Amino acid sequence: MSHTVSQENIDVFGPDSILRRLVGEARWGLAVTRATLLEAAHPQIGAALMENSTFLTHPWRRLRNTATSSRRLLDPDPRVRDREAARLNRLHSRMSGVDAQGRPYDATDPAARAWVVATLFESTVTMCRLSGDTLDAEAMRRLYAEHRTFLALIDGTSDHLPATLPEFWPYYDDIVEHHLENNEAVSVILYRLFANVPAPPVLRPYPMVWAAGRALAGPMATAITIASLPEAFSRRVALPDLPGARTLMQAAYLSAALANRHLPESWTRVEFFMGLLDPSHKGAGPWETVRRRAGKAAALARLLTPAAGGGEDDQVTRSADRFFAEVLDQTGDGYLRWPDLAAMAREIATRLDLGEQEEDRLFQAYAAWWRELQSALDSDSDGRVTRDEYAAAAARLPSTGLVKIADVLFDVTDVDDDEKIDSEEYLNLFRTAFQRDLTGAGDSYSRGAFVRQFVSFMSGQQHSNAYVSLLTSG
Amino acid sequence: MVVPRHVACVMDGNGRWAAQRSLPRTAGHEAAEAAVMDVIEAARSSGVTWLSLYAFSTENWRRPSGEVDILMRLVRRAIRKHAPVLHTRGIRCRFLGMTDPRIPAPLVQDITDLMTLTRDNKRMTLTVAFDHGGRRDIVEAARSLIRSETPADQVTEASFAEHLPYSDTPDVDLVIRTSGEQRISNFMLWQVAYAEWVFPKVLWPDFRAAHFCECLDAYVRRQRRFGDVRPATMTGKGLR
Repeated sequence: MSHTVSQENIDVFGPDSILRRLVGEARWGLAVTRATLLEAAHPQIGAALMENSTFLTHPWRRLRNTATSSRRLLDPDPRVRDREAARLNRLHSRMSGVDAQGRPYDATDPAARAWVVATLFESTVTMCRLSGDTLDAEAMRRLYAEHRTFLALIDGTSDHLPATLPEFWPYYDDIVEHHLENNEAVSVILYRLFANVPAPPVLRPYPMVWAAGRALAGPMATAITIASLPEAFSRRVALPDLPGARTLMQAAYLSAALANRHLPESWTRVEFFMGLLDPSHKGAGPWETVRRRAGKAAALARLLTPAAGGGEDDQVTRSADRFFAEVLDQTGDGYLRWPDLAAMAREIATRLDLGEQEEDRLFQAYAAWWRELQSALDSDSDGRVTRDEYAAAAARLPSTGLVKIADVLFDVTDVDDDEKIDSEEYLNLFRTAFQRDLTGAGDSYSRGAFVRQFVSFMSGQQHSNAYVSLLTSG
Repeated sequence: MVVPRHVACVMDGNGRWAAQRSLPRTAGHEAAEAAVMDVIEAARSSGVTWLSLYAFSTENWRRPSGEVDILMRLVRRAIRKHAPVLHTRGIRCRFLGMTDPRIPAPLVQDITDLMTLTRDNKRMTLTVAFDHGGRRDIVEAARSLIRSETPADQVTEASFAEHLPYSDTPDVDLVIRTSGEQRISNFMLWQVAYAEWVFPKVLWPDFRAAHFCECLDAYVRRQRRFGDVRPATMTGKGLR
C-alpha cells in the first residue's frame, strides 16, 4: 500500500458527510429500492442480477449484506474502506457471462458501475424532494461529489460519471431515455419480489401473520415504487399508472420523513431494522421483545390446540428434494447451476470476512465440487442439474470437492493452527458465520470429525440447524 | 413463621395406592395429578418461591414399557390441561433432566412450549425433575467444569455449583417424601445437602394441601443449624 502516514487518516467523505448520515437512516431504504429498480433496467446489470443474484430467494440477506457493505465503504478508516472495496471487486469479477438473449455482461463493466452510483445519487435527491426537505444547490453539489468519491473507491476512478452536476443531468436523462429496457429483472422485482418476499428471520416462525401483511403491503410497495420512477422511464417501459398511486407514494415518502424527524432516533436508524433481519445483531433489542412475546403466544396456541392422536413418528425426514430447494438452489430457479454454488461461497466468504487468499481457496473448492456434480449428475449435459437429476443420484454424490470446502472452513476457523477446532473456535465459527449460538456444544473437533459433519450435511444426509441457518436465511 | 424458600417433593406411593384398590399401577399415576395441582397451589399461596417435584427418575426407565408409555401420555395430557392455569398463576415451569431420546417428541415439544410460555413468570418456580438423576447432574457439572479449564485449586463448592443445570436454583430447604419410604433415590443430590426431610405416611395420590401445610409446620418447628453447634436462627435460606 502506497499510503503515507498522513494519508492513512484522511476521511475522504469528511466528518459531516451527507451520504454517511443518510445511509444510517432507515428511510434511505426507499431510495435504495427505487435505485435498484433503475439499475435492474440497465441491460448489463439486469442480466447480472438475473444470472447470479440470489435476491429473489434471499432478499433479506441481500439487503443486510448491501447495508453492511455501504457502511464499510463509508467508514472513516481507510483500511476498512479498502478492504471492502477489494472484496466487492473480487465478488463482481466472478460475475460475467452471457444473458438469455446471448448478450455478454460483466459486473465489473465501468459504465454499468457508474450507473449504479448515478441511480443511488438521483434516488437520494428524489427522496429528499418527495419528503419535503429539498436539498439546496450546495448540499446537492456536495452529495454528488461524495457519490463520485464512492465510485472512485470501488473503481479506482470516477471518470465514468460526469465531473460536475450540470453535466450529470443530461447524462442521466440520456441513459433513462435511450438505454434502459423493460427486462426480466425489472418485472421480477416489481411483480414477483414484492408479492413473494419471504418473512424476515425474526418473523419466520409466524408465517400466517407475515402472509397476511404481505398481501396488503406487496402491491402497495409495487405501486409506490412505480409512481416514484422518472416519467420518461415509466413511459418507455410501459409501467401502469394506477389511480391514487402518486398520492400513496407521496404519503409514504412524507411519512418516512416525518418519522425520521419526530420519532426517537433509535427507531428510525438502520440498526433498528437490521435487528429485524438478523436476530443476533446488536440492534435487535426491541425486536427481541417482540419475538419473545410472539414465541410465548405461539407456545400457548400450540398447547391449546387439541393434541394430534398419533403423530409420534412424524420425525423430521429431510428428503433430498427439500434439501435441494432450501439449501442448494440459492437462486430459486429450480436448477442447480454454478451461480448457486458461487452464491454459497460468496455468503460464507462475506460472513467470515475472508481475506483474498482464503476466499480464493474457498471459491476454487466450490468450483471443484461443481465440476464433480456436473460430471456425475448432469446427465443431459446442459450445464445445469435439475431437481430430478439431483434426487435420483443424491445418495451417491461425489464428495471430494466437499471435503476441500470443509478443509478451507476448518483452516479459517482453526485460528491457533493446532489442527483442532476447540469449542471456542467452533462456537465462534457459528456465531460469526452462521449467526447462531450453539448451546451445549462443548467438544472440540478434529479435522476429520469437522469434515465428516460438513460433508454429511451438504450431501443432504444429515440435518444440521447450524448450517441450515447460514444457507437458507433471508 | 419462616416459610422454606425451596420445597421438594418425592412423589412416592402411586403404585401402592393403586394396588390397595386392586387397580392397575397406572391408575395411581392418574390419581397423582390432582395431588400435584393441589400441592402447587398450596405452595404458591403459602409463599414458597421454589417448588421441585420428582416425577420420573433415570432409573424409572426400567419399569415395564407399557407403564412408561402411559406415564408419558399422562404427563403430556396434564401439561396441556394445566398450562394456562400455571401461566396465569405466575408460575415459571422448568424441567430438570430431559435428555433421554426415549422421551416422545410431542411430549418434548409440549414441555418446551410450557417452558417458553412461562419463562418470564416471577411468583414461583416449579422445577419438575423428569428423567432426572442427581449423580448424573453432578457428573455433567464436572464435565462442564473440565471443559472450562478451571484450575483445580480454583474449584470451590460455589464455583462447582455454577456448572449444575439451572444453577440459579437455591439449595433445597425441605424435602417431603410421601408413603413413609425413607430414601434419597438419587434426587437432586447436590441441592439437598442441608435439607430437612419429612416422611409423611400418606401415599402421594392422597396427599393434599392440608398435608403440605403440616409438613411446613414440622419444618418450622425444627431448628436448622447447618452443622454448627450453636443454636441457629430459624432461616429458610440455604447455604450457597
